Amino acid sequence: MTKKSFILIFFILCFGLLMMGCPKKTMMKEEPSIKQEEAAKAERAKEAKAKEQFEKSLVAKQTPGVAGEVFESALLKDIHFDFDKYDIRPSDGAILKENAALLKKYTNLKVQIEGHCDERGTVEYNLALGERRANRTKDYLVSLGVSPDHVSTISYGKEKPLDAGHNETAWAKNRRAHTIVTAK
Amino acid sequence: MKRYLLLFLFVIFVVTPSAEARIYLDINAPTFVQIPIILAKWKSADKTSSPFSEKVYEILKNDLTLSGFFKVIDAQHLPPPLREKEGIPDMSSLQEWAPGGGEILLAGETLVESNGLDFKLTFHLYDLVDQKHLVGKQYEGPLQTVRSAVHRMADEVVLQITGERGVQNTKIAYTVRQGESKEIYIADFDGANVKRLTQNQSINLSPAWAPDGKKIAFTSYLRRNPDLYLIGVDGKNLQLFSRYPGLNVSPSWSPDGKKIALMMGMEGKSDIYLIDTNGGNPKKLTKGYGNEASPTWSPDGERIAFVSDRSGSPQIYIMARDGSNARRLTFEGSYNTKPSWSPKGDRIAFCARAGGHYDISTIGTDGSGLRSLTSSSGNNESPCWSPDGRYIAFSSTRTGASKIYIMNDNGLNQRGLTSSKGGEGSPAWSRRFD
Repeated sequence: MTKKSFILIFFILCFGLLMMGCPKKTMMKEEPSIKQEEAAKAERAKEAKAKEQFEKSLVAKQTPGVAGEVFESALLKDIHFDFDKYDIRPSDGAILKENAALLKKYTNLKVQIEGHCDERGTVEYNLALGERRANRTKDYLVSLGVSPDHVSTISYGKEKPLDAGHNETAWAKNRRAHTIVTAK
Repeated sequence: MKRYLLLFLFVIFVVTPSAEARIYLDINAPTFVQIPIILAKWKSADKTSSPFSEKVYEILKNDLTLSGFFKVIDAQHLPPPLREKEGIPDMSSLQEWAPGGGEILLAGETLVESNGLDFKLTFHLYDLVDQKHLVGKQYEGPLQTVRSAVHRMADEVVLQITGERGVQNTKIAYTVRQGESKEIYIADFDGANVKRLTQNQSINLSPAWAPDGKKIAFTSYLRRNPDLYLIGVDGKNLQLFSRYPGLNVSPSWSPDGKKIALMMGMEGKSDIYLIDTNGGNPKKLTKGYGNEASPTWSPDGERIAFVSDRSGSPQIYIMARDGSNARRLTFEGSYNTKPSWSPKGDRIAFCARAGGHYDISTIGTDGSGLRSLTSSSGNNESPCWSPDGRYIAFSSTRTGASKIYIMNDNGLNQRGLTSSKGGEGSPAWSRRFD
């Protein structure tokens, strides 16, 4: 090898070292990572706010004659049923998706799905119907990825109407699956 | 409880009824004409206790009216000479009662003993058509048991006229809504002695008398689950005995008192199960995907009627007590629920929807002879039979708020049980208490 070649290699290596230590390249790498961090921070803030909002939405509720308190949230929405039916209406799928998203996000939550009926028909048959409505709703949430261990069910039949009226408007409101929070 | 001091109540036969007892009223006929019975003014043998004899008279008059078998002719509505006639008549004077318009005459007298604590009642029953003495009996006991003694007297009169004792000494348990809670109450057959059995502010449902008449099984949400409890008829000894996850509702005691049929939801839907009276050994009787509800035992304990929507709408079915041989009983209408098996064994009462209303019907256990007993006056629900199978109690909204009613099993003589404000439901009839 000639002296010239050594010098050439030396310069190439030097150039390479210079290129590696190039401050411009470092700048280019750092720029997106700062953005990501900020986005993550914003996301975390958003999450914290959402969590705070959700926690604020939980209203403690005492049930007469029953020990302990449970919570209700306007963010866990009711779904409704047709007379003497327990199928989930296609239009209510979106509501259950929102409820499921909350339950998957706050995995320390334990909820109970209440099955309710309107006042028509006998006490006992309505208890059977309410049992079905609650369990169908639970199954739907589980199919969306909610842990079955976090969801219990109860049937109230026609014993706890939301609207005390004796007309179709009241009945339609009363045929529902309602979610309460039993532990948070 | 003082009411049960009846053990000290003695019944003395004054005259034994004639051997060839005649049935005046065939209550098994689909319709019958009420027997006109004259209730002569009662005499106070001790002179000082006319309010007492008036009280006895009123309880007796009410009992006979409620039985549905009589057209009661009150002494006040008799022609003047008969109006004031009181006490026990002699046989030779029976024809004097002819203008009263009755076929049967009931006369009696009361005595409050000089100790002021005990009573003596004597009554005699006469057939005015054949001019014949039918029966006479005397009842003694402490004053606080008088209501029960008069009920037994009325039962005896019903026995003489229909060939079968009445149910005046029975009780009816039922639920009463109070705001968000529902409590269980008990009343006598005539609506007297209304007592609250539960007082826990929770939702309490479907009371069912144990065959011995000492306990009542019911569902309560006290633990935020519909569990089954037992309670003494004195309101004491509350006992949780079936608390499987999901439903533990609609209990029905087997006639021998050893098993309870009920609705349970262990598999995510309601099925009929049998459990022991301590809640153990749950055994599932129904199969398939339907909602199964409201079990009721046949009086021989061999079969169970229940509701199932396996055909697409709720209908009444009958199965053997082991769950085999289920067959559909009702085919008319699209909503038949809450069966109740008659203690006589031949018919099943249930709640049927027709034209947007709910009415009480009965049907033979072979599916024949469907009869509607209430006719679209409000909603009529939750039928249950009297222990003699001659009456049906049910709830009705005919006057607005839901109240308990009683009728003869042919639908005649419908009357309210109590004078409460309403919110009543789920009547359950006890055995006879004497």
